[in-house]
Amino acid sequence: MGYGTHYDVLGLTPAATAEQVEQAYQFFSGMYGEESVATYSLLEPGELREVRTRVQQAYDVLCDAVKRQEYDAALAAPPAAPVAEEPAPTRPAAATPARPVPAVPAGPPRLLPEPVTGASLRKAREELGIPLQHIAGATKIGVRFLEYIEADRHRDLPALVYLRGFVQEYARFLGLEPRRTAESYLRRIAPDQ
Amino acid sequence: MTTPAPVPARPRRQIWSIGGGKGGIGKSLLTASLGYQLAKMGKRVILVDSDLGGANLHTCLGLAAPERTLGDFIRRRAERIEDVLVETGIPLLRLISGASDFLAAANIKYPQKVRVLNRIRALEVDVVLLDLGAGTSYNIIDFFLVSDVGLLTVVPEPTSIENAYRFIKSALYRRFRNAVQNDEVRQLIEAALDQKNPHGIRTPLDLLATVEREHPGEAQILKNEMAAFRPQFVVNQVREPADAGIGHQLVAACARHLGVRTTYAGFVHYDEAVWRSVRQRRLFMVDAPRSRAAEDITRLVRGLVQGETLTLPW
Ligand SMILES: Nc1ncnc2c1ncn2[C@@H]1O[C@H](COP(=O)(O)OP(=O)(O)O)[C@@H](O)[C@H]1O
Ligand SMILES: [Mg+2]
Repeated sequence: MGYGTHYDVLGLTPAATAEQVEQAYQFFSGMYGEESVATYSLLEPGELREVRTRVQQAYDVLCDAVKRQEYDAALAAPPAAPVAEEPAPTRPAAATPARPVPAVPAGPPRLLPEPVTGASLRKAREELGIPLQHIAGATKIGVRFLEYIEADRHRDLPALVYLRGFVQEYARFLGLEPRRTAESYLRRIAPDQ
Repeated sequence: MTTPAPVPARPRRQIWSIGGGKGGIGKSLLTASLGYQLAKMGKRVILVDSDLGGANLHTCLGLAAPERTLGDFIRRRAERIEDVLVETGIPLLRLISGASDFLAAANIKYPQKVRVLNRIRALEVDVVLLDLGAGTSYNIIDFFLVSDVGLLTVVPEPTSIENAYRFIKSALYRRFRNAVQNDEVRQLIEAALDQKNPHGIRTPLDLLATVEREHPGEAQILKNEMAAFRPQFVVNQVREPADAGIGHQLVAACARHLGVRTTYAGFVHYDEAVWRSVRQRRLFMVDAPRSRAAEDITRLVRGLVQGETLTLPW
């Protein structure tokens, strides 16, 4: 796999706090550790060694305020930036392709006015200047489905359980509160659920 | 453009399946207790013992082996699937027992399977729960793939987790096969099923990369299948806090190394009350409603019904 940036390696966004860096490091050290049952059968011994090294390197830079600042500056300068060849992180927000990245809002998740519709989602996205392809690439949800969500083409959308996940990830990507956004959207389709 | 689509009168009937790829990890126990809890919440529930060959869901419910089973329906000794439905003694909860005639059942042919799946889909209830057998044969995978909610049971042991990953890959490759028309891509998918294939494809992400390189026009189909495939982990037999954390590790590992977006539905503690009830052929949800395991099940079902999953605290 490609490893992407130090942030990708730890499943974080560049907005992560020092505490989040610490927690993510604890988590991934455990996940890739000698005793972990979650990864031993999934990765070859060589891959495991490699990914452990990456996690350690990422942590060494991101836990040090000075090194992190230098790293962020390098990331912001496109030609020198390490290229995330195949971002496959834990959360969609961190999967933002390396560049050019329209600002996905940091800070607390926002709520759209009730009821959330395809049109209001689309408006929120367009205000941020984020193309659909961008969300599709990061979330692995097909562009077609994202278009259907925005066009309220409910009959063409997948089963509700999947749709809920799709809308949540779409919302999360735009910095919207995922669960309540999806709930409001879905309520118009199946008010009883 | 914003006119909402016509609203269905009632929530759609849902199929939940309980798989995991390994035997003895609590699939049947989970099926019985999830069903019990859903029925208690007022949902009309049918449990289907689709562990063709190892059927024992009736025992988890404290019932003797029913006269009529899914095997009778498969062999057409029963005309309608409703004819092999039995009451469990618990309001709103009914059972379609597994085949006692396991030879016939284990060799179920494709058209028979389609007939069974279609009839299950048409059952007049709120939730159908499918208790799946162990392994990753097409019979089991196809039952898993028809479900709206696909639960993957694991216990915190290497063998169980290894089988769960194998299950995920088999199910995803089966989805790919069903979605892709292109013969060469189909052959790649076929080849990928063998871990030691000459293309060096070990994971769905490798497969996707190969298809993107060699048949770029077909890659989006695989991507859509990957996006729509959302199994949910349940960690059973949790004995220490770190065990419950394994669910998060599995979700992260699947996203990074398989490209599959799973979620973590919840966990159930290892509980002496469970096997005490099992030994007496009774359901612990009835026998020991205040036990830790029963409380875990209650929380798990609430989360599943509300579409909530466990997430990392940061
Ligand atoms: N949470 C639990 N606590 C204690 N024992 C359990 C628990 N889950 C499962 N077991 C034990 O594991 C045995 C196998 O469970 P079962 O549901 O039959 O597995 P499967 O259907 O996966 O083959 C049960 O008989 C029970 O004794
Ligand atoms: Mg069983």
